[in-house]
Amino acid sequence: MEFGTSITPANGGDPVGLARRSEELGFDLVTFQDHPYQPRFHDTWTLLAWVAGQTERVRLAGNVLNLPLRDPALLARSAASLDLLSGGRLELALGAGGFWDAIEAMGGPRREPRAAVEATDEAIDIIRGLHHAGDPTPFRSEGTHYRVPNAQRGPLPAHHIPIWLGALGPRMLRLIGRKADGWLPSLGRVGVDGLRAGNKLIDEAAVAAGRDPADIRRLVNVTPDVPLEVLQTLEADTLILYTDDVSEMERFAREVMPVLRATNRRPTRPSWARAKRRPGIDYDGVPRSADAVEPGDIDFPRLKSTYLRGGNPGIILRPRTTAEVVEALAFARRHRTVPLGIRSGGHGVSGRSTNDGGIVLSVARLNHIEVVGDRRVRVGPGARWSDIARTLAPHGWALTSGDYGGVGVGGLTTAGGVGWFARKHGLTLDHLRSAEVVLASGQVVRVDAAHDAELFWAIRGAGANFGIVTDFEFDVDEVGDVGFGQLAVDASDPAGLLERFGAAVEAAPRELTASLIMGPPRRGAYASILAVVDSDDPETIVSLLEPLAEIAPLVDQRVVLTPYAGLMATDGNSHHDGQGEPAGRSGLIEHLTPAFTADAEELLRSGAVHFFQLRSVGGAVADVDPMATAYANRSANFSVTALGLSQRRVDAAWDRLHHHFQGTYLNFDTDRRPERLHDAWPPEHLTRLRDLKRRYDPDGVFRDNFYLGDDR
Amino acid sequence: MTDYGHDLQFGVFVTPAAQPAHHAVDLAVTADRAGLDLVTFQDHPYQPHFHDTWTLLSYAASRTSRVHVSGNVLNLPLRQPAVLARAAASLDLLSGGRFELGIGAGGFWDAIAAMGGRRLSPGQSVRALEEAITIFREIWNPAERGGVRVEGEFYQVRGAKRGPAPAHDIPIWLGAYKPRMLRLIGRKADGWLPSLGYLPGGPAELAPLNAEIDEAAAGAGRSPSAIRRLLNVGGQFSAQAQGFLNGPPDQWAEDLAGLTLEHGVSTFILAGDDAATIERYAAEVAPATRELVAAAR
Repeated sequence: MEFGTSITPANGGDPVGLARRSEELGFDLVTFQDHPYQPRFHDTWTLLAWVAGQTERVRLAGNVLNLPLRDPALLARSAASLDLLSGGRLELALGAGGFWDAIEAMGGPRREPRAAVEATDEAIDIIRGLHHAGDPTPFRSEGTHYRVPNAQRGPLPAHHIPIWLGALGPRMLRLIGRKADGWLPSLGRVGVDGLRAGNKLIDEAAVAAGRDPADIRRLVNVTPDVPLEVLQTLEADTLILYTDDVSEMERFAREVMPVLRATNRRPTRPSWARAKRRPGIDYDGVPRSADAVEPGDIDFPRLKSTYLRGGNPGIILRPRTTAEVVEALAFARRHRTVPLGIRSGGHGVSGRSTNDGGIVLSVARLNHIEVVGDRRVRVGPGARWSDIARTLAPHGWALTSGDYGGVGVGGLTTAGGVGWFARKHGLTLDHLRSAEVVLASGQVVRVDAAHDAELFWAIRGAGANFGIVTDFEFDVDEVGDVGFGQLAVDASDPAGLLERFGAAVEAAPRELTASLIMGPPRRGAYASILAVVDSDDPETIVSLLEPLAEIAPLVDQRVVLTPYAGLMATDGNSHHDGQGEPAGRSGLIEHLTPAFTADAEELLRSGAVHFFQLRSVGGAVADVDPMATAYANRSANFSVTALGLSQRRVDAAWDRLHHHFQGTYLNFDTDRRPERLHDAWPPEHLTRLRDLKRRYDPDGVFRDNFYLGDDR
Repeated sequence: MTDYGHDLQFGVFVTPAAQPAHHAVDLAVTADRAGLDLVTFQDHPYQPHFHDTWTLLSYAASRTSRVHVSGNVLNLPLRQPAVLARAAASLDLLSGGRFELGIGAGGFWDAIAAMGGRRLSPGQSVRALEEAITIFREIWNPAERGGVRVEGEFYQVRGAKRGPAPAHDIPIWLGAYKPRMLRLIGRKADGWLPSLGYLPGGPAELAPLNAEIDEAAAGAGRSPSAIRRLLNVGGQFSAQAQGFLNGPPDQWAEDLAGLTLEHGVSTFILAGDDAATIERYAAEVAPATRELVAAAR
């Protein structure tokens, strides 16, 4: 059961203060009546938007909005806007109008009861139609009262905005049963018997329209004098306390709400949303703190897929704090038969951060970034590298990450982190000083070199098997502006090009970190070389890039001096819309020998891969003792990646190159055959990791991302 | 040379993008913190990539503390004038007198009609706007006795109650380029709000249009200085002077001060969605322009 307040929007009173107080007292909803002809009241829409800016959590609604003076098409857009601005906190409650003299005096229409019902019916269609932004066709409606000849749909609200109606007459009640999401009468107007009769009428109309009556929320405005025993008999889903007296609000919050909340057993989602639920998931047992998104929810299409992978999970859990991660993980632990994906930024190639019918535990909201000392930061797993780069830039600092700012911290750091300062400053995980980890058991530990040192070792390279990191503490480097070169070179001789690229990069000082991308050989094909020079001296930048520009005829070039944050900058808010399954393989290699480059050329000619990339490692990465972290294969100078459309074809082609490699970089490998564990970790590492897996995750809670549990 | 002697104000013209949802609000907060005078948003209720501008203005005002807000300009054809008048008074009361009413007669009639709005000819739309201005001022004037009665060609108000009185005397600024609108400004409005980019002749074109307004004002027994001249401008900062509002802040200040001293423009509204540019405009251009104008006056 939920609770609201109905506050008089008097412009001589303090409705904003009362709304804030309602929020503090734990009410779920704040409402204001709407009489646009009444000069002693604020305009209710303006007040709702203002109050949205002054509150954080409480939801907002008119009680009820005056439809004759509010055009439904404009109202639909306004409602979507306010829902977006308030983070999904707007609900729509509409009234067909009363006080017709006053409405007409303002220039509004006068409607007979039957016409008022018709107009409301049309308005519901218009509002729903415009909110249906996923439909690319224009919205058209030719009603008796409203005409919308050809409107573009949108914006898409932040949540499914319900439409409740304040209504008394039987025609209106039947309309609710047919179409609306809720009924919002005042107990003082309908009485207890009228409420019961109205609910019956609504239920009958709902059933006749093929709807589940439980999909229609029953809200009731009540005055403070209604005794608890009566409130308990109302069968209401939401009680809205009609008062401007703070002491009455406080009394209600203290004495009435806890008693009634305890009896709430009503599902919060309508039947059509529940119908999209997947088997094997205890939806009724989801912790409230998880702020779960289910397949029937409006946000689901924005969250189901990742950057490269189409997904269709059964539920997405979105905790905000470590304690909520613990609760969400406890829920996941009870579900051994469905996949479990842990998602930070959702950019993983190999990672299983979405799935089909399983649980996704998204840590995107644990995205804090805090400078805690000299070249020392703490960041959440959901923070993205663009935001970290921007935060560090004013200090003259940077933390090497991947090569794209939209990537999240958690998945990248726990496996490696091969980025633009790899040769100069090492891997991202080489900068990790401590971490807070939620273990499979739900226990929360802070690990560093002196505390749970074995676990600290394991999460640096095999993190996905051991827990969910909720806080990373990093040392960062002093980095000024850098040189960024983008070269396009002729790729008609793939093998020769690769060999010369390898030699040039190995011979370059560590200030240079480079990558090369190419596709299948074709007439006129070129390779794209991207390189960062960690220097703000133009002469140094040019002198380090020149050898790369000489490995093949230059087709195009661009060199800029930019802050690292500029390289990481992204457009920010876009959601992922990946499709299908990526087929990717990875190998770590010391030198691009003629034997390797000839085989690589054959791979490119096979047509099995459409994307082939080399990235620098080596340098500072190789300075670290291979036994120091779970990330093991540090002698390599290059990380090689290929992507294709068919895992089978990619595997067949790639396996022929396997003997050239000294390991694999897990984050870029989608092959699920167990041999990949032996590529990722040499025997000593693997044995140690399996021992640790038995100790920290004996039941295999974390089993969907290169599972170390079975000795295969 | 016409300088109406108004104090100088500096504002921004921010895209009311619906995604990211807080884009425009964040920039309004930036402008507020930077000490600018005004944040404005265009209003195209038929455009679903934008927020509803009234909702955004109300929310942005709620999230800021000093800066004033205005539509630039509000779309009258899709907004009911009597309801808008009370909403404006509400927002002015809630924000402590920080609302200004920039409004236009409408354009994009196809899109307005596609939303169910009424299609008007240019002449009709000016007459409709004039009726709306009368309604606004009547609603905002509770001192008068009796209800508001406007039997217009386009809007009818038949005895609506007056009030509430706004927190301050809300100025009505009109976006306008054509003679009928300019004459309406001279007779009835408190400000003129064109975009420099829509004046094919550049700043020089301000002179004849100002003259049209001044003449209409004089004809209505009003002083031309009762009408503030605002201007939407675009520009970019660069190290070297490269053209009008394209150069270092000092050059911007000279360009803007020239518009004040020659054409009486006193509110400069910078179009753009870049926080760093907004901060620089507030910190470097606004004070330098004020100094130049003060020295010349």
